Amino acid sequence: MMSVENEFDDKTLRERIAENPRPAMLWVAGLVVLMALELGSIAAAVLRVGSVVKFAIGGIANTPSWMAGFVSESLGSIGGTIAYGLTALALLVIAAIVVKWLFVPFSIVDRLGLELGVGKADVVERAIVTAVVGVVTLLFVATPLGAAVDAVIGALTQGLESISSLQTLTSRETIPNQGYQLPDGSWEGTWLGLSPAMAWGARVLLIYAYAFGLLAWFWRGYNVFRNHYREADWTPRDDSVNRFRNHYWGVFGFVVVFVFVVMALWAPALSPVTAEANLYSPYEHEVQYYDEEIEDVASIPHGEANLETRSVGGDSNVGLMSYDKYDRFHPAGTNQDGKDLFTFLAYGSQVSLVIGLLATGLMTLVATALALMTAYYKGLLDLLTVVVSDSIISLPRLLVVLLLSVVFMEANHPIATIYDGGLLLALIFAATGWPLLWRAVRGPALQVAEEEWVDAARSYGQSPVETMKKHMSPYIAGYMLVYASMTLGGVIIGVAALSFLGFGVQPPTPEWGRAVYEGRPYVPTSSWHTATIPGLMVVFLVTAFNALGDGIRDAIDPESDASGDEAGTSAAASGGGG
Amino acid sequence: MSQHMSESESEPRRDADRRVSSDQHGETLIEVDDLKTYYEGNDFFGGQPVKAVDGVNFEIARGETLGLVGESGCGKTTLGRTLIRLEEATDGEVRYDGTEVTSLSGSDLKQWRRNAQMVFQDPQSSLNDRMTIGEIVREPLDVHDWKTPRERREHVRDLLETVGLQKEHYYRYPHQFSGGQRQRIGIARALALEPEFVVLDEPVSALDVSVQAKVLNLLEDLQDEFGLTYLFIAHDLSVVRHICDRVAVMYLGNILEIGPTEELFENPANPYTHALLSAIPEPDPTVDRDRIILNGTPPSPRDPPSGCPFSTRCPAKIRPEEYADMDDDVWEAINLFRVLLDERARADLSIRDRVREFRGKNVRFDEITEVRSELFGDLDLSADVERHVDQAQEYVEAGEFDRAREYLAEEFDSICDREAPSLCTVGDAGRSSACHRHDDEYASPDEEL
Ligand code: SF4
Repeated sequence: MMSVENEFDDKTLRERIAENPRPAMLWVAGLVVLMALELGSIAAAVLRVGSVVKFAIGGIANTPSWMAGFVSESLGSIGGTIAYGLTALALLVIAAIVVKWLFVPFSIVDRLGLELGVGKADVVERAIVTAVVGVVTLLFVATPLGAAVDAVIGALTQGLESISSLQTLTSRETIPNQGYQLPDGSWEGTWLGLSPAMAWGARVLLIYAYAFGLLAWFWRGYNVFRNHYREADWTPRDDSVNRFRNHYWGVFGFVVVFVFVVMALWAPALSPVTAEANLYSPYEHEVQYYDEEIEDVASIPHGEANLETRSVGGDSNVGLMSYDKYDRFHPAGTNQDGKDLFTFLAYGSQVSLVIGLLATGLMTLVATALALMTAYYKGLLDLLTVVVSDSIISLPRLLVVLLLSVVFMEANHPIATIYDGGLLLALIFAATGWPLLWRAVRGPALQVAEEEWVDAARSYGQSPVETMKKHMSPYIAGYMLVYASMTLGGVIIGVAALSFLGFGVQPPTPEWGRAVYEGRPYVPTSSWHTATIPGLMVVFLVTAFNALGDGIRDAIDPESDASGDEAGTSAAASGGGG
Repeated sequence: MSQHMSESESEPRRDADRRVSSDQHGETLIEVDDLKTYYEGNDFFGGQPVKAVDGVNFEIARGETLGLVGESGCGKTTLGRTLIRLEEATDGEVRYDGTEVTSLSGSDLKQWRRNAQMVFQDPQSSLNDRMTIGEIVREPLDVHDWKTPRERREHVRDLLETVGLQKEHYYRYPHQFSGGQRQRIGIARALALEPEFVVLDEPVSALDVSVQAKVLNLLEDLQDEFGLTYLFIAHDLSVVRHICDRVAVMYLGNILEIGPTEELFENPANPYTHALLSAIPEPDPTVDRDRIILNGTPPSPRDPPSGCPFSTRCPAKIRPEEYADMDDDVWEAINLFRVLLDERARADLSIRDRVREFRGKNVRFDEITEVRSELFGDLDLSADVERHVDQAQEYVEAGEFDRAREYLAEEFDSICDREAPSLCTVGDAGRSSACHRHDDEYASPDEEL
């Protein structure tokens, strides 16, 4: 056994790229071009994330004083001070756990060469990290360092703000569709003087072309990595990807879901009117039109114009792909308030997807963690989880969701105000939904826990958490994805149903279910579209998620295509005949 | 924790000192003292534990290979897993190089684990399909923070060559390998931390016959090269004969015989060993040997027999003096009758049956008359025996099972039912066997069979 340095290539990804930079450079160049086109929106997105983070940190930083105030009310100021200290310490400990988990992959205790007992090492490790975090926090609060960092962040924000005002390729301003028609039939204010319908159509096309181009570019990136930089020339995942590509129903689902995601992301640019003008403050935005009576261009607030363009059946109707009398183009007609329905739907897809993804994400997280732990430790933990989940499953779900949301909303709980009750709904759906997901993956989880490689990991001292992450979770992740994508449809329907009943997401935040509810009386009339279109959207999206789930299931389950799998593995390693 | 620990921490000891020690068979590496491993039943509400390993004693010398054979379910795998702390021992001690192992925990346990590794039975299940071969073999090194990552990768490549694979296989996935190759990967992983002791849990039983010999040869070569100590678990006796220095025969959680391989094969002492060996097909068809056919299956390890574990099936079971010259077939039939009654008594009852029983209805053994005629139908029973069997049958018909069993026990129990035999030395090469027939009082198993 001699050491054979460098006989076999043993390079990091960076070294491998340095060796053959062309494909990677080409791909990155393409990506940069694509990104540059949307620089403004990217900067805006970063800003938004930054402000959310800032808000969250501010909230957390305030908890000690909040607790102190709370306690000193009942126990006096000394109690308040103690509560302040305890809360601050608790927060520090939590922060330390996160920091350790994210940034300190080695054991400080080992590095320092401390000889400690079993239980003690962990405690000391935590204490060290907590102390470091505490000192850093103090530095920020008590020294000019904090102000300096503030200044840097401020400057960054300003820079980003100026970037975010840059025009992007796919923004409304690039291809404006709002204008008015002069008596001679020509259009003023629209892109290239095209009709608003054409201009809007061009913009939609451009947006989707861009989005699919981006998607294709990432797919290409994956292929570049696979062909030029990956060490393994075959991985089990390749087979799954190939199987999914040949699964038309699954690909259909993926494409539809992607279309909806793009709709949600680009809602401001896709809608013919801005959300402000259409949904939130129609009386503060005006629309210009050519008034035939005074034979000149006049303007009127959207709100007033809407009174004339309501779709409530009979003669008062603005249908699909038509203009109203103020020359506003409505791809999906107007709703019963005279507002543009397509704008409502585009923004509504944001709400549905955000609530659906948030709820499903939380559910998946809880269910995965529980499935791994119950399968690994079994016994009492498993029994307890069975009891709890069975009790939750046995409740009528929609009723519980309804009850909880009403209770929280009536009490005006702070959570109920975030995202117009959307966050609350997501939490409630997650809390009532995880048992189903856990149930679905419990079997597979128990099965992998029985595999010998889990025992093997234990036999050389791998920690339980690592074992669950490395040796068990990949095997239930596929199942999770399948069930999660199907559950997502359920949540979207659930949210729509709640809104349909008049609960759930409150106006003016657009929600598909509420559109169905409000448009329902006009289904038999000429304004049938007000309820039907949003209803169809729900059906489409849910079906697409189910199709996607189907596709993923068949892709990860080699049984579904045994012959193809054999062909894939026949690249078997030769030599070492054993 | 002794120096041994700190030693293994610092440097892998694969070189000179180990090779020396491998040559001096006799220095004890592992001592097992009255080890018991019980599983609590799945029942949360009490119930009998499964006595998978029920008090075993043995030693393994440094550098030797101890075979552990027995039918499936006899507890041999549990024993192997307990030795490397994959199962918790219920009672007893395992000393590794003088260190008591069963009570280790936390980082002491983690450190100790470097010394003892396992090669698993099923090459399909022992490798995580989502990881590359390199990652799989390297994981133990990562867990123990062995040297630098670069050195780990090199070490893994060397290991792959050592077990007969190629360095280039580092980035392949297990899917791309045959069963034999996968088992080689498993062996490489077990050797990554350079352990001294390796438990081989039926390492070739899942492989094609043509591949078995190659893997066995590899294991032997590795033993020579690294001075490894093996516990070789197998149900295939011929494999054991090929590779083991000594063999322990296990039955129902107990070791019934243990000794040097050749001697044990040539001249088995324990009736159970006799039975196992007679089940091997004789390579030379001209040799005419009496095959010993064992009745039924081993009893449940939840409720093992009170005396000798083998007593329910033993063809050489000692008879009470009164029945010393009873006809063999009658004796066998009576034993079978008793086993059946025991099994029935133990059978789990459904709730409905329990209710019926509570109401005084006889739910089991409705077919007692049939059983009786099946077992004793064409046998010539002496008046005495006839009377006892009749009496037992009567009790059964009245639903008084335990009474029937007690009655038969009183009449037909011998020392084999009452006392568990302890290991006693037989032969002259350090062999021992647990059987009452090794007492001078009784005819030896050899004569009896
Ligand atoms: S003790 Fe009795 S039952 Fe057990 S093996 Fe020896 S003869 Fe057979």
